[in-house]
Amino acid sequence: MSKEAPADREDRHPLAGTRMSGADIVIQILADENVHTIFGYSGGAILPTFDAVFRYNDKHRRADGKSPIPLIVPANEQGAGFMAAGYARASGKVGVLMVTSGPGATNTVTPIRDCMADSVPIVVICGQVPVHAIGTDAFQEAPVAAIMGAVAKHIFLITDPTRLEATVRTAFELARTGRPGPVVIDIPKDIQNWEGEFAGFGSLPLPGYRHRLQAVVENHLTDDACERFYTMLAESERPLIYAGGGVINGNATKAMRHFASAYGIPVATTLMALGASDTKHPLSLHMLGMHGMAFANYAVEDCDLLIAIGARFDDRVAGDPARFAPNAKNIAQFDIDVAEIGKVKSVNWHHVGILKRDLDDLLAYGQRIKFEKEFSVWHKEIAGLKEKHCLNYDRESDRIQPYAVIEEINRLTDGKAIISTGVGQHQMWAAQYFDFREPRLWLTSGSMGTMGFGLPAAIGAQVANPDRLVIDIDGDGSIRMNIGELETATTYGLPIKVIVLNNFGDGMVRQWQKLYYKGRMSGSDKSLRRKDFVKTAEADGFKYAVKLDRKEDLPGVIREFIEFSGPAFLEVIIDPDAGVYPMVGPGLSYAKMITGDFIVSRDQPADDKPGPGEMF
Amino acid sequence: MRHVISVLLQNEVGALTRMTGLFSTRGYNIDSLNVAPTDDSTVSRVTLVIRGSDSAIAQLNTQLAKLVDVVNIHDMTLGDHFERELAILKLKLATGGHARVLALAKKYDAEILDDAQNSCTVQLTGRLAEIDAFVEEAGQIGKIAAVARSGSVTVSKGEVTLSSYVRHHRLTG
Repeated sequence: MSKEAPADREDRHPLAGTRMSGADIVIQILADENVHTIFGYSGGAILPTFDAVFRYNDKHRRADGKSPIPLIVPANEQGAGFMAAGYARASGKVGVLMVTSGPGATNTVTPIRDCMADSVPIVVICGQVPVHAIGTDAFQEAPVAAIMGAVAKHIFLITDPTRLEATVRTAFELARTGRPGPVVIDIPKDIQNWEGEFAGFGSLPLPGYRHRLQAVVENHLTDDACERFYTMLAESERPLIYAGGGVINGNATKAMRHFASAYGIPVATTLMALGASDTKHPLSLHMLGMHGMAFANYAVEDCDLLIAIGARFDDRVAGDPARFAPNAKNIAQFDIDVAEIGKVKSVNWHHVGILKRDLDDLLAYGQRIKFEKEFSVWHKEIAGLKEKHCLNYDRESDRIQPYAVIEEINRLTDGKAIISTGVGQHQMWAAQYFDFREPRLWLTSGSMGTMGFGLPAAIGAQVANPDRLVIDIDGDGSIRMNIGELETATTYGLPIKVIVLNNFGDGMVRQWQKLYYKGRMSGSDKSLRRKDFVKTAEADGFKYAVKLDRKEDLPGVIREFIEFSGPAFLEVIIDPDAGVYPMVGPGLSYAKMITGDFIVSRDQPADDKPGPGEMF
Repeated sequence: MRHVISVLLQNEVGALTRMTGLFSTRGYNIDSLNVAPTDDSTVSRVTLVIRGSDSAIAQLNTQLAKLVDVVNIHDMTLGDHFERELAILKLKLATGGHARVLALAKKYDAEILDDAQNSCTVQLTGRLAEIDAFVEEAGQIGKIAAVARSGSVTVSKGEVTLSSYVRHHRLTG
């Protein structure tokens, strides 16, 4: 155990030296870490710790009668995992998930992997069978260390109770430091029941991790690096910032906006970084990539200096890395993770460090040397691209167009609501047609692409932000995955707004089947399914549950849905043939982007079929 | 290209699984793997032999360096190093085989551990090429009943040690 006991009496934990059970130690550390909610589902092997939550809340009840660490109990542990993730994404704080051994733990594999893939900090506390029973095929035993070791940022299996306290504290540190991620603590039941002295301090040494983190933290931008950067900027006529999720995770939005606006550098964001730039700003290019704005992708094609900030050239952005940003003479990359530097595309300039600080330092250097450069020609070109190649769709259609639904909601929310989504077409329509004025308003499963993310993530976000409007934009396929959580929203009185864009099937799968499989809709058609979504929502306690299927009712219904004071559910029957455009086929360069019938394309694509079917 | 990677790994539950798992999830086969204690009871030394392009292995090493339990890591093939392996061979021998085994052992400076009537157990420490050649020649003398090889272990030449490699990735460039 590292770190000396605090010599100063003032720093001493008020409970230091108290005898506690392992379970009480866990909850005390959660309290010390300012955890305000636990998302979790009980069961045999975690009973002592759930009991400790009850007792803690009973003892420390607030004046208003509320619990200091309330439990939110889902229908399924996967739901709790995405609630913790939604909480963490929307608040920037570490989300906490608590489940029992065996199936409780294995049900969280998907959200844990999802958090890893999108760098979301959560701590997962799993019950485990008692130490002596581990490896005996005991009831509700699963090899959590082996399973989670492959998907999480780290996993601790506690077998020595004297290490419990330091381990739980260290788990929070690991989750939020460096590149954030999920950390799992597997705690056998006998360790939860063990009694020992609470030290009130101490964490695990982790010599390798701390050493590497320290190197990154101490890696300030040097004058030499700044000089080389500004030389590239001086030589550039068309610089472009390509901002990724790291900007949001690193709370570097302000620093990035300051830097971008100081020199008038346009910003295109990835799916994960929506909100890093204010999408209403003239130099914001909204989203780039496979379903990015045509104008954003054209700007990537045109730029001569690409500045990647907390972005990793993922295959949904750089499907063909060799042809990504083909006119960029220089590429600069900022990240907190050295493993991302040059992983996909080699760069001329890179810096591994703390984004927020480094961007502030970079701007300060520019101001010190009084750097000036005029990019007005580029600005004019950007404005022209944005005007000519803007999003559009069939506005004359008799059917309700999904884009129109999002536009209508956006008109009311003005880019200030928290939006969560499932995965598929509705996710991309939401990404494209919503404005995002601030970070942490957009919650989506980017890297893992987990259907069923939207509803529980909205619940977690609403818990973190009780006074904010939280809307789950969902699809009929995605919502089915965790539909049990509708009841969780009403049970806890969380006023989330759930909208299902129903196209009677897995729309994105159908879109690919139309493009690559000659329209054989294998397994993706749900037109014969019997579910009555409105009745489902009503049965789960939604007082507002409405089906919208007439175009003329759209504005009125959307308004009453959004303005409803409690949890509200709206099913919208949309045009089942609506597609997601633009589209850069998998593995292809932006030059091969198709824009559909309603978005103006700059070039005539050589082939209207975007790419070979074997690409993913 | 063949790469020999040395890793100092914390002795934590699942640490080795996480490390070796990373190779399979990223699509690499391990040619040999050696794990053994060090003078520090909390740390083991792991030696891996893998094949891949220099850039792919460099990327793999940065991924390995993200594992919390990894204290230090270095691709030994990037510098001068000693690489040795230990092999124990059990041979089934026909009449007259013993004399030939003794001659072979002498040639390679191997040690006879057990000399029974119809079999013989021999130990050899040396460079990989020597071990490979020894195993091949032994196979011509008798039927190989068992081969136990330690896999490569390495240290770098000179004063430098694994823990003295501070950073081999440039954080700014």
